[in-house]
Amino acid sequence: MIKISLRSYALRRILYLFPTLLGISIISFALIAASPGDPIQIRLGLWIGEQPEYEEVYNQVGFDIGVLDENGEPVSMFVRYFRWLGLVKDQYGVRSGILQGNLGNSWFYTMSGNIGKPISDIIVGRLWYTLFLTTPAFVISTILATIIGVIQATRQYSLWDKGVTLASLIGFSMPVFWLAKLVMLTAFYLFNFTGATTGDAFTEPFLINPRFYLFLILPTVTLVLTGLVFLSRLTRSQLLDILRQDYITTARAKGLTERRVIYKHAFRNAMLPIITVVGLALPGLLGGSVMVEGVFGWPGLGSVFLTSALQRDQPMMMATNFVFGGMFLGFRLLVDLSYAIVDPRIRY
Amino acid sequence: MTILSEAIIEREARILEEIKLVEGSNLWAIVMRRMKKSQMGMIGFYIVVSLMVMAIVAFIILQYDALFGLNNPTNDPYDILNYYVEIWVPGTDKYIRLIAHPSYIIPGDQTLAPNANYPFGTDTRGFDILSRTFFGSSLSLILGIVGQMTTSVLGMIIGAVSGYFGGFFDDVVQRLNEVITAMPGFILFIFVVSIFRDIASSIPGGLYMIVIVIFALIGWGGTSLIVRAKILSLKQTEFIEAERALGAKDARIIFKHIIPNSLSPVIVITTLGIANTIIQIAALAFFGLGDATAVTWGDDLAYHRDNLLTYWWMPTWPALMIFITILGFNLMGDALLDALDPKQAAG
Repeated sequence: MIKISLRSYALRRILYLFPTLLGISIISFALIAASPGDPIQIRLGLWIGEQPEYEEVYNQVGFDIGVLDENGEPVSMFVRYFRWLGLVKDQYGVRSGILQGNLGNSWFYTMSGNIGKPISDIIVGRLWYTLFLTTPAFVISTILATIIGVIQATRQYSLWDKGVTLASLIGFSMPVFWLAKLVMLTAFYLFNFTGATTGDAFTEPFLINPRFYLFLILPTVTLVLTGLVFLSRLTRSQLLDILRQDYITTARAKGLTERRVIYKHAFRNAMLPIITVVGLALPGLLGGSVMVEGVFGWPGLGSVFLTSALQRDQPMMMATNFVFGGMFLGFRLLVDLSYAIVDPRIRY
Repeated sequence: MTILSEAIIEREARILEEIKLVEGSNLWAIVMRRMKKSQMGMIGFYIVVSLMVMAIVAFIILQYDALFGLNNPTNDPYDILNYYVEIWVPGTDKYIRLIAHPSYIIPGDQTLAPNANYPFGTDTRGFDILSRTFFGSSLSLILGIVGQMTTSVLGMIIGAVSGYFGGFFDDVVQRLNEVITAMPGFILFIFVVSIFRDIASSIPGGLYMIVIVIFALIGWGGTSLIVRAKILSLKQTEFIEAERALGAKDARIIFKHIIPNSLSPVIVITTLGIANTIIQIAALAFFGLGDATAVTWGDDLAYHRDNLLTYWWMPTWPALMIFITILGFNLMGDALLDALDPKQAAG
C-alpha cells in the first residue's frame, strides 16, 4: 500500500470536489432543461407587461435571461450551460459565469420592478444566517449525543437507559417540521415566545444584535434535538458492540477501573464509528435545517431555497443546489479528515 | 438386543422430528420467531398491521359505491357525491349514518371542537376530521409503501446488474450515484418536484404519481450500493460457479440466486425507508408542494399548519397518525434488523 501524507490526501480530496460539483451542476441544469413550462412566462409572471407590447416584452425578457437571442430565436441548451459556467460569452458579449464568481440574476428577488438581484449577493447575505444556525447545532448535538450514548451504554437496561431510548425513539419518529412546531408551542406556553423571526433580529451588524441570538435559540434547539435522537441511538449501539469485545474483557481482567476501561479502551475505538455516523447524519441535518428555517421563518439559505422552489426561480435553484452540494461535500471532507486525527492507525 | 434397537429407533425418531421442525421453518419463520422475542418489535408489527387493515377497509368503503354503481341510484343531478357512509338496516328502508364522506362539507358545522357528533372535531372547511383521518390512511400509506418499494426494486435491479456485469455500466452508475448522493436528499427532492410538478396538471390527482417516480429516481443509490457489494462477494462463491457450469443464463442467476441472497438487508432498509418516505412526502406537502385536493394526512397537516395555537385539534390528529405510522415502521424495522442479523443468531 502506498503511504501518502495527510496533506496530500486532503489535497487530493479537495481536487476531487470539483468534478463532483461539476456533476451536480450538469444534473441540475439537465433537469431544469428537461422540465416543462416556458421559463420566459415564469419570469413574465412577475413582470408588469401591457397587452399590446407583449411580444416585444417577451422577446426582451427572453434576451435578458439568456433564453432567446437578439432575433428571438431560442438559444441552445449547451450554449446556456457553458454561459452559466462562464466559458462562453453571454448575450452582452461578456464572460460572466460561475468561473467568474457570478451566479446570475434571480427571477423572483427583484430590486426595482424588473431588474433581478444578483444571486451572489443574496447568497452571501443569507449564507451566514444558515451557518450560524447549523454549525453550533451540529457541534452541540454531536457532543451531547456522545455523552448520552456513553452513559446509556455503560448503564445498559437501567431506568435511565430505557427512558432515554424511549424518548429518542419518540423523537426519531417525529417529522422535523412537526417537532419544530411543538418546540414553538412549548416555548409559547412557557415563555410566551414562539420564536417566529421578526425583522428587527436581522438589523446589521447582526453579530452584536442581542435580538439575533434570542431568535437563534429555538431553531438551534430544534436542530439539536433532531440530531440528538439520530446520533445517540447509534452511539449507544456502537459502544455496546465494542464493550462486548475481548480486549475489553482483558482490560477489565487486568484490574483497570471501569472508568479507565471505558474512556481509554472502549471510547477511543468507538470514536471511529461515531464519526461515520456523524457523516451519515449530515444530509439529514442540512435537509432538517431547510425545514426548521421554513417553519421559523429564519431567513437563511433554506428559506431562500424553499421560496425559489415554490416560485420556480430557476437560476436561484441552480445556485442553491450548488451551494448546498458544496456545503455538504465540505462537511463530509472534514468528517473524513478527522478519521486520521482520531485513529493513528489510519494511513492514507 | 431388542431393547437396544428400540432405544436407537426412538432416538432416530426424535432426530427426524427435529429435522422436520427445522425443515418446516424457513428463513421467515425463524425471523418471525426471533421477532416475537422483541416486545417493541411486536408492538411495531401490530401497529403496522392494524394501520394496513384500516387503510384497506377505508379504501374499500370509499370505492364501494363507485364499484357497484350505487352512488347515484335515482339519477339525482344534485347528488353526484356521497355525503355520508351509511349502513342499510335490513328489512327497512332506513340507513344508519356512520361517518361523513371525507370531502363532504358539512353545512353549518365548521370549526367545531371535538364533541359527541364529531369525535375529532371539524375543520375550518367543514370537513369531519375523523373521516379525513380515517380515509386519509389509504393514500398516505400507499404513497409511503409504493414509493419505497419502487425505490428498493429499482436500486436492487441497478445494483445487481452493475455488480454482476461490472465494466462500463458499473462505472457510469457509480459516478452517477456519487453525484446524486452529493446532494442532501430532501433538497434534491424538493428541487426536482418543484420543476416537474407541472406535468401533473394533465393527469387528475397525478401529482403524487410524479412524486413517487421522482422519489424512486433519486433514492435508488443506497440500496444499489448494498446489493452491489453483496453481489461482488457472492460472485466468487461455489454455488454460483456451479449454476454457471450447469449452463444457467445471467438473468436466472441474478433473479433466482443473487437477489434472494441479498434480500435481508434490503428488507430492513425498505421497512425503515417507508417511515422516511412518509416523512418526506408529508414534508413536501407541509412546505407547499403537495396536492391540496388529495385526502392524505400530510396535506391535512399542511392545510392546518398555522392553526396549532388556535384550533389545536385540526393539525394534531393527522400529525398524530403520521407519528404513529412512523413509530410502527421504525420499531418493526429495528426488530427486523436484529432478527436478520447473523451476529445476533450466534448469541
